[in-house]
Amino acid sequence: MSLQMDELKTQHYDDKTVVHFLWATLFWGVIAFVVGLLAALQLSYWGFNLNLEWLTFGRVRPLHTNAAIFAFAGNAIFAGIYHSTQRLCRVRMFSDALSKIHFWGWQLIIVSAAITLPLGFSQSKEYAELEWPIDIAITLVWVVFAINFFMTLKNRKEKHMYVALWFYIATIITVAVLHIFNSIEIPVGYLNSYPVYAGIQDALVQWWYGHNAVAFFLTTPFLGLMYYYIPKAANRPVYSYKLSIIHFWALIFIYIWAGPHHLLNTALPDWAQTLGVVFSVMLWAPSWGGMINGILTLRGAWDLLRTDPIIKFLITAVTFYGMSTFEGPLLSIKAVSSLGHYTDWIVAHVHGGTLGWNGFLVFGMIYYLVPKLYQTDLYSKKLATLHFWIGLAGILIYYLSMWAAGITQGLMWRAINEAGQLVYPDFVETVTAIVPLYWVRALGGTLYIIGTIIMLYNLRQTVKASKGLREEKVTAPLTERKKNDHEDKGHRKLEGMMVTFSILSFIAIAVGSAIEIIPILTVNDYAKYEKVIEPFSPLEIAGRDIYIREGCYTCHSQMIRKLDFDVLRFGKASTIEESMYDRPFQWGSKRTGPDLARVGKKYPHLWHYKHMENPRSTVAGSIMPNYPWLLDKKTDFYSLRRKIYVLKSLGVPYADEVVKNADKVAEEQAKIIADELRAQGVNDDKLEQKEVVALIAYLQELGQKPLIRNINLEK
Amino acid sequence: MSSQDDDKLIEGHDYDGIQELNNPLPKWWMITFFLTIIFAIFYYAYYEILSGPSSDQELATKMQKVEAAQEAAKPSLDKIVASINREELRSDAQMMKKAKKIFKRKCAACHGREGQGMIGPNLTDKYWMHSKGDFKGVLEAIREGFPEKGMQAWKEIIDENQQLYLTEFVLGFQGTNPANPKEPQGELIE
Ligand code: HEC
Ligand code: HEC
Repeated sequence: MSLQMDELKTQHYDDKTVVHFLWATLFWGVIAFVVGLLAALQLSYWGFNLNLEWLTFGRVRPLHTNAAIFAFAGNAIFAGIYHSTQRLCRVRMFSDALSKIHFWGWQLIIVSAAITLPLGFSQSKEYAELEWPIDIAITLVWVVFAINFFMTLKNRKEKHMYVALWFYIATIITVAVLHIFNSIEIPVGYLNSYPVYAGIQDALVQWWYGHNAVAFFLTTPFLGLMYYYIPKAANRPVYSYKLSIIHFWALIFIYIWAGPHHLLNTALPDWAQTLGVVFSVMLWAPSWGGMINGILTLRGAWDLLRTDPIIKFLITAVTFYGMSTFEGPLLSIKAVSSLGHYTDWIVAHVHGGTLGWNGFLVFGMIYYLVPKLYQTDLYSKKLATLHFWIGLAGILIYYLSMWAAGITQGLMWRAINEAGQLVYPDFVETVTAIVPLYWVRALGGTLYIIGTIIMLYNLRQTVKASKGLREEKVTAPLTERKKNDHEDKGHRKLEGMMVTFSILSFIAIAVGSAIEIIPILTVNDYAKYEKVIEPFSPLEIAGRDIYIREGCYTCHSQMIRKLDFDVLRFGKASTIEESMYDRPFQWGSKRTGPDLARVGKKYPHLWHYKHMENPRSTVAGSIMPNYPWLLDKKTDFYSLRRKIYVLKSLGVPYADEVVKNADKVAEEQAKIIADELRAQGVNDDKLEQKEVVALIAYLQELGQKPLIRNINLEK
Repeated sequence: MSSQDDDKLIEGHDYDGIQELNNPLPKWWMITFFLTIIFAIFYYAYYEILSGPSSDQELATKMQKVEAAQEAAKPSLDKIVASINREELRSDAQMMKKAKKIFKRKCAACHGREGQGMIGPNLTDKYWMHSKGDFKGVLEAIREGFPEKGMQAWKEIIDENQQLYLTEFVLGFQGTNPANPKEPQGELIE
């Protein structure tokens, strides 16, 4: 045997990288959970906003979602993929250097998110809040990951790719497509940008992305992990190979279409909404295919469910997956959406998925991996079981309280009496009614965190008792790829063809994307109009950017749906034209506070001034945070010329003089508002420079802009 | 569900020790999938190809109903005002206390806790812009508001009956002399 062969024989799997990702998962997980708890407390009692601008709810919520999705779930996915892919391919990861770049690059991205989000640098697009330099970094790191993964696949010693790998392939391809298309934006500063899409286009692209971030970041990779770790932990064969083929292809093909179910009853054209409904309903069975395969793999070993905490976590996770994927299609029925949308029911739905499915699957995987990688036994099975029960109690308390809150509030919003009037016309009444449930939710979150801390302790003891990490030897001698003796047919053949398989996956997700998005992007609906909406003035744009920075959209929608109770409460249903120049769109997804699409001129300037300083001075029982810094900070007039210039170049009809003098135009408008406020008693001789004036200018124009002649049409 | 006999391992499927069974697709699962596909076809066809109502039409139908109900329930202000006895209103201490609370919660932000005026006009003086200082005028101001000027209509927010007590409560500000009154607005009505 040659020396070279000997070397090859003793090749080890790269488990260091796996362990790095694992510890990163736990580190960021705890942070994500604690930040989530802070957000929960802020809705229970406004004082938890601490009057600190970087810790108000509007900035904390994106921090929580990004940390939970990209830091906690993201690192966990990478840990699991790096660990299982090497074993399924029986080869070390392609490049140690790329693995390192991937790991550290991803942590750097998370750190930069953790810094920029609290500072208010945000695109306000949910789960895509990060600004353009970070977007570019994400793309680069993802490409590194993709190269590392696909080259490992290429080097594999196993002829066929196991189903877990199919899911990883679909994940890597789709996330890249989603991220790139949703992040096309024009920078207006080092950490500021406007998306190229506006209004309805932006809404559709964003929810195509947002929905599929759930699909391809929180579902497909986790299904892949499920397909590896459940059979391994239970030591049982997978229930049905046929089912795995059908549900894989059905899932990735159908999932991509379902985005519009986030925009039901809105101004989105009916045909797109209808597609969103029907594809969401069709998604039910393919999702359950995964659940069936996960749970029934345990057939003949049900007693493990009683005795083995790892199996407890994994199977409960899959059960939560089944629940969420039943509830999802249900919520996509237009009538159900009219009740649930904008309420805490959606928050319940999401957390059933994230805490239950993602969280528990990760915990199960970690309890399996750590003893295995450190070649020792888990320090305490009892503690792991305790973690399971405390965590489960936490999830159930969280889920049930938010479910009750959402449905209660949804019913209050829609109640109309015989006289044709709202039964609860006062919005804040529908908020104070559910605040007690916000406290209950915070209790649920606390339990979940306590469980996680118990796990950390358990893992620390486990590692302490071990002899340290030992990289496992590659299980078989690295000869040529195993060949089988007979010709493969059908899908089995495809499983041996990495490139073809990947291309087919791409086509599966590209079809739905193209059919839904291209018509909305290319049929330039707007140009057909003889009249277009008058764009926001430069000062109002400055105010709008403050609205985005503060994350007001996390509590306020700007989309009055085509529903009688929405119209009675907030006025005429929102139209497409009204947000046609909104970059990014601000339709929102949650109404913790009232819709603001037509709030303009509803109150005097002074009301807003006092309300922003302290909402409880004008509305008793409000849970909106105080924004005292808006009364001190100075508006950034300087950047307005550049901003208006970029907006004009994107097609917003600003006159050339407005672009050239954007800052002066804004200062003049600010002076008028400031004078009015001073006349009403505000004592501040520099008021016109303050951010609150720009914000008021914006708020007062919401729903007030007239239609004007379309100058583009005249050209 | 399929019997244990189906549980046959598929030859050659072994990945890091994971094997796969050749169980068929569960029947109930296939039926479910099939039914959702049929639902999708019919739903799409009804709304997008056949003559199913558009979302605008659905909204219009619903709004017509709501507006008809509103029309039918509209009370005449004159009738209400003619039928009340202000003495009686004033003597119901509990309702008057509630009116005070409502004023504090909903009105004080603009008119001041003691009606002295801030964003909205002073309600303690004899100067009125709209209400002429009488019951009907104040009730109307409360019910309809002045949306252009920054006071919303309260008729749907405050209970019908409670509006009467609130009106009486507001009129009760007359002749009080709170601190920091807002300067008079409107015309003097003795
Ligand atoms: C934590 C959630 C939350 C955040 C964040 C939030 N609000 Fe609110 N907002 C509320 C609630 C609840 C109400 C209803 C009670 C009230 O009027 O204060 C409200 C009411 C309002 C109203 C009055 C609407 C009406 O029709 O009466 C305006 C205007 C408003 N908010 C603007 C903002 C702006 C601007 C921001 C961002 C700087 C913001 N809000 C951030 C929760 C929030
Ligand atoms: C958002 C601020 C605001 C709130 C809240 C408000 N008002 Fe007013 N109110 C005003 C303004 C402004 C005017 C004057 C309109 C004008 O300038 O024509 C006014 C006028 C009035 C008038 C007529 C006064 C006159 O001179 O004729 C009455 C009566 C009145 N309000 C009562 C109430 C009552 C009762 C409430 C609570 C249910 C209330 N207001 C809540 C702002 C408010």
